Amino acid sequence: MTRQRLVTMLRFVAALPGRALLLLLRGYQLFISPMTGPSCRYYPSCSQYAVIAVQRHGAVRGALLAGWRLLRCNPWSAGGIDDVPPARSHKHSLTHVASPTS
Amino acid sequence: MSWFDGLLWPIMVVVAWIMVQFHKVLAWLGMDPAGGVAWTLSIVGLVIVIRIILIPLFFKQIRASRGMQLLAPEMQAIQKKYKGKQDPASREAMSRETMALYKKHGTNPFSSCLPILLQSPIFFALFRVLYSMPLIAAGTYERSPNIGPITPAVAQEFESATIFGAPLSGYFLQPGADINIKIVTVILIVAMSATTFFTQRQLTMKNMPPSALQGPMAQQQKMMLYALPVIFAISGVNFPIGVLIYWTTTNVWSMGQQFYTIRRMPAPGSAAEKAFKERKARKAAAKGIVIEEEKPVIEEKPRGQRPQPKRKDRAKPRPVDGTSTGAEASSTAEPSETSVEKPRPAAGQRPKSSGASGASGARKPSSGAKPGAARPKPSPKKKPTK
Repeated sequence: MTRQRLVTMLRFVAALPGRALLLLLRGYQLFISPMTGPSCRYYPSCSQYAVIAVQRHGAVRGALLAGWRLLRCNPWSAGGIDDVPPARSHKHSLTHVASPTS
Repeated sequence: MSWFDGLLWPIMVVVAWIMVQFHKVLAWLGMDPAGGVAWTLSIVGLVIVIRIILIPLFFKQIRASRGMQLLAPEMQAIQKKYKGKQDPASREAMSRETMALYKKHGTNPFSSCLPILLQSPIFFALFRVLYSMPLIAAGTYERSPNIGPITPAVAQEFESATIFGAPLSGYFLQPGADINIKIVTVILIVAMSATTFFTQRQLTMKNMPPSALQGPMAQQQKMMLYALPVIFAISGVNFPIGVLIYWTTTNVWSMGQQFYTIRRMPAPGSAAEKAFKERKARKAAAKGIVIEEEKPVIEEKPRGQRPQPKRKDRAKPRPVDGTSTGAEASSTAEPSETSVEKPRPAAGQRPKSSGASGASGARKPSSGAKPGAARPKPSPKKKPTK
């Protein structure tokens, strides 16, 4: 029982950085993105990609994936459809794993 | 915020350096070095330098959007397919297919995210430089006595300089902000909203085909457009006036760039393109030349009857000598039987199947919709006709 509670608490703590990142990303999408107009060459857009990546892979891997995507979204890239890679097996990720669809 | 300044420090020094250099030039030209106009113009100069550096990216983007002409028909097919569909799933499918189309043609109308991201550190650096200005003037800035060429003396001069009675480092919510700061801030927020609004409206209303202006996505865009002043007002009251000047100038520059793009390279099927062609025709008429309408080249795969596959031994030339006639006769007997078999009533079945695949989403436009283009399939299994 206590062990289970410990695991739940650890999960909660491990998910905190991801939640903070998601909050920042939502803030960007709500307040900053409208000022620049639609500009991303990919689908899903860079910020949406970051949201999905953090949800699916956690804060560290998600942030790395999003950073790599931002570097790819330059004037020399062709753009197009670029989805977040599917999550690795459940054993590895402590954080919440989103459904692999969409 | 000291870790943030540490991160931005090199950029802050560069920003300060560019501003001070512009200020020196303006003073040399005869402007009052202690006046607010010279300092305002040095911020404008900073914008000009940064945007000139970014011009190659702008031209790259223009070149990429030239291919838009080619994909107009396919684009219309996609828009037709999702016409009047409001649910999120088909909206997503529509943007997905549109993006795939851009990729297929190697063109993209969007400017990409990296240039925006590259500009943001400069913006933050200017923010921090202006924010730290009173501290440097007072000699209480903790990191260093000066930011690059901005020494306490320069900072004091900057602090005493005002534009319409407002210091450039003052901000709306600053404790003890006077009425001048508030008025100038409000004017700049209005100017920022107006320029952004006009730029985006010009983009959507003039440089997009009418078909792109319908649908939920366009509706959402429109709503965002009207929410802009609110967003600007919320963030703008926290920003020093110098930052607002920087922002407004950047907007004006973007507006000019966009005006140039729309005038010289309008998107196909848009109102701007119509105006562009009219201008061209008028110029030509003045010179006495008649221009023939340019039509976009559409690469289309040949449709219609497919060449029937031939069996291997039939494709060979017929042997002339009479020894193999027996074998020949037996081999020809089989196909003559199968050819009696009627071709499947494809015209009746095709539209049904194409409708079903259309709903699933991955269908190419105009591939199987025409009943006339349907052809009898060579049936792989031979039915015994006996």
